[in-house]
Amino acid sequence: MMQTTIGRRGALLGAAAAFSSFAIGGRAFSQTTPVVFGALPPLTGAGGPYGPAMLRAAQGVVEAANSAGGIKGRQIRLAFEDDQTNPDAGVRGARKLIDVDRVQALMGTWASSVTTAVAPLCWENRVPLFTVSGADSITLLPHQGHIFRTQPNSRLQIETASKWLLGKGAKRVFHMAAQSPFAQSSQDVMTATLGAAGGAVSGYIVYERDKTAFRSEVDTIMKSNSDTVMLNGYLPDVTILLRELYRAGFDGRRFTFAYAAPASVFGTLPNEVTNGLTTFQPSPDLNSPAFTRLKAAFGSTEVDPYSAQVHDHATMAILAAAQGGDATGSVIRDNVRKICQGDGEKVDNVTDGLRLIAAGRAVNFEGASGPCEFDERGDIRGTKFRYEIAEGGAYRVLELV
Amino acid sequence: MDAYLIAMLVFAGFYALMALGLNVIWGLTGMVNLGLVGFFALGAYASALLTTKLFWPMPLGWAAGAVVAAAAGAVMALIVARLRGDYLAIVTLGFAEVIRLTASNEIWLTNGTDGISGIPGPWRGDVSPPEFNLIYLGIVWTAVAVVFVLLARLSHSPFGRVLRAIREDEDVAAVAGKPVLWFKVRAFTIGAAVLGGAGALYAHYNAYIAPDGFAPLLTIYIVLALTAGGVGAMRGAIIGALFVIALLESTRFLSAIIPGVSPVQKAALREGAIALSLILLLRFRPQGLIPEKTRTKAFP
Amino acid sequence: MIQDWRDLAQVLLNGVMAGSVLMLPAIGFNCIFAVLRYPNFAIAGFATAGAFAGWVANAVYGWPVGLALPLAFLVAGLVSLTAEELAFRPLRPAGPLTVAIASVAMTILLENILRFSFGNDLRGYDLPILRDWRFDGIRINPQQLQNTGYAIVAAGGLFLLLGFSRLGRAMRAVADNPVLADIKGVDPNRIARVAVFIGGGLAGCGGMLIGIDTSIDPLTGFRVVLSVFAAAVVGGLGSIPGAALGAMVVGVGEEMAGLVLSPAYRTVTAFLAILLVLMFRPQGILGGRN
Repeated sequence: MMQTTIGRRGALLGAAAAFSSFAIGGRAFSQTTPVVFGALPPLTGAGGPYGPAMLRAAQGVVEAANSAGGIKGRQIRLAFEDDQTNPDAGVRGARKLIDVDRVQALMGTWASSVTTAVAPLCWENRVPLFTVSGADSITLLPHQGHIFRTQPNSRLQIETASKWLLGKGAKRVFHMAAQSPFAQSSQDVMTATLGAAGGAVSGYIVYERDKTAFRSEVDTIMKSNSDTVMLNGYLPDVTILLRELYRAGFDGRRFTFAYAAPASVFGTLPNEVTNGLTTFQPSPDLNSPAFTRLKAAFGSTEVDPYSAQVHDHATMAILAAAQGGDATGSVIRDNVRKICQGDGEKVDNVTDGLRLIAAGRAVNFEGASGPCEFDERGDIRGTKFRYEIAEGGAYRVLELV
Repeated sequence: MDAYLIAMLVFAGFYALMALGLNVIWGLTGMVNLGLVGFFALGAYASALLTTKLFWPMPLGWAAGAVVAAAAGAVMALIVARLRGDYLAIVTLGFAEVIRLTASNEIWLTNGTDGISGIPGPWRGDVSPPEFNLIYLGIVWTAVAVVFVLLARLSHSPFGRVLRAIREDEDVAAVAGKPVLWFKVRAFTIGAAVLGGAGALYAHYNAYIAPDGFAPLLTIYIVLALTAGGVGAMRGAIIGALFVIALLESTRFLSAIIPGVSPVQKAALREGAIALSLILLLRFRPQGLIPEKTRTKAFP
Repeated sequence: MIQDWRDLAQVLLNGVMAGSVLMLPAIGFNCIFAVLRYPNFAIAGFATAGAFAGWVANAVYGWPVGLALPLAFLVAGLVSLTAEELAFRPLRPAGPLTVAIASVAMTILLENILRFSFGNDLRGYDLPILRDWRFDGIRINPQQLQNTGYAIVAAGGLFLLLGFSRLGRAMRAVADNPVLADIKGVDPNRIARVAVFIGGGLAGCGGMLIGIDTSIDPLTGFRVVLSVFAAAVVGGLGSIPGAALGAMVVGVGEEMAGLVLSPAYRTVTAFLAILLVLMFRPQGILGGRN
């Protein structure tokens, strides 16, 4: 390994060698070579709090699949690179995974900018890309079916959440948004949805994510006479905002995306601050034994929404390859919808899925993040949302809608 | 593997262009610029917007990228040229952050954090992706060659000698009757133009740009490239860029074989190793791999 | 947005609170600059190191803040001293800019050493979070007030040291004129070490105060670094009281930004403050020499 590394470096410096030949190369390999999948999560930079758990989720699925005999007898290897939460580094990492490791599917991109930057590489090389990114523009790219986005469309999420809030009696909702690709569209959707039912967006602030103090912003929230504040940000900044809202004595409802306040928030903030915080996320059916088993599989720690999604990315890629009978990118792309929607037998984990597919049965994968059904653009559809409330350092499920 | 190497050589070309631009500002004139990624971003955005929104032809977009960055460089230089180096370091660092924040927030112009996608590339779509890579390899390294020749000439011209004199001792240059401010502004403008041009080329290769891509880390990489190659020597800038890409990429393979550490720890080792190599280079080989052969000052 | 004097008072107060958090790293930055004449960008790394040291003492070993804070000072000071001796001192002959660039790299190195050791997870100090006090509609948080108190005590300690001790006089002498100080028998290297230790230590205390007020991860120092530089420049590079004043100006400016510009442009305010000061008073508000 060391030897080849130095060889590679030498080759890189010796540019001439690279000119001599170029060919994408056949993707044929024997039964003994492992199938390689690639993960590109953020391990450093702004996405750092999320990436490591996402990667562990994918690794767990791959281990389980390998213990179950792999894809038609072939073992699976998960190669990964750190995208550094930066599209430039992300593209270089994706290049390495696609061109050197020859991955047949790429998963776990987090930042919308990284996903959009690596997407063309994926469709040009016929590698399906599974992502958790929130920007709605991603599935509008000309990706020829290569993108599968398990994060529901942000317009859909905000609309659903706004309606739920209205149902709970919210009239004046303050929208506190970190600058992101969906801040403005969220604001538009909230204004329309709340306005149509007699409610209103009582204030809207777009803030800089990397700051450590938001006191004046919280003053604005306090003065807005709002019954609810929607915290449309990420873990580091939402943690600060929750603390500041508590200090200021905000007594309305605090509502946020589950990824902005995953269970780890209880380790960072005292319970009196988090109590009453309401979160929502796409979810599988709660009453199914599948969900219980999934929670057990993730161990005692509550699984955060991104890890749940990446768990599903890996499972779908493996099952699609098994279903198609060949682990190439195109086969995986064409078979994802066959294993996760339709009348097949419901499965929630890779082991059962592989067993059923080997037995020639049709499967319908229902994952940790929801039913995993995709529309023609690659957006998730038909998902339900789970609403949870923080109580004494744990989340309690309020309802699934 | 070939496709990967070619892509990395294209990246090395961008880094080489940036290092050349920085070399005019820092290497020749002695003005530090820790905001070079800001000029790079300006060039990228200018060209991307003009070609996708106003449908300018690509070469015109590239030129515009250089011009916009040059104009910003000129204004910046006028404000800061009389400042001492330490102030300059802080101001330029802040400038790059302002550019990034503006690109994030002025959605009407830049499409915000969503970025601009679908930026055209020469013959993209008409040729296969590997062919496109090869074409771009040719374009970028041609640009590197042209800029290198021009800057090498500049560096050995009377103009270049004045810049070096300013770098060595501003007061002496002023006493010798040289309008120091004017020379500094011109040098900064030329450097910024190269940085902007590099940004424009980058935008059309990647087809996508977003504020996240113009993080301060890129500035560090380019400073490292120039330090590694040898500050002041134009050849050094190119060698240094190749060195940085080799370092960035080889650490991927090296960190993969370290046993017993978690993925986050590997990522930390990788970023840490890059920072450490810059410190070690400054310490043990400050003249770089290709020391500058200067006629204005003999090394002791 | 501003309807009566209370709103204005509230913003000013918020700004002072924000500024007091920036104050110690800014003083640390200027303390090092005063003696060694180079901008030490690694101050961000020292702040994060101090934040983690304080966190380990407080959250793992249960130390109270009053004890953890000196430890943060000590650890960050030692980190700073080690960085100086191993990395920066050999570079000093190559000029201040070379050292400055090495210090940028040092910040990234420290960030990743902490990431290697602690991971990326957000960590909170083990402290209850207190509700604000309200006076006639104006809110003050006792915890932040306490943090401001700590910052003032630390800064005050430095003033006393500089003003009334032999060591302080020696430091000021070296800062004013190293050659003259050398002639008078002050060892500039010893003074440099003291300045580097104190500067890094103050940054570490500042980092811990940020950690108490928010939560910490390997990027903690990095998030405030531009505001800290702005504070140092606005106050006058190398001026200790200047750094304190500059931190307040930048803190208030950033809170005001939400009302004038947009909260998404806070960092821009810091940069504008730098530019304004440099255009009209390049030596900073309290910077004497240039």
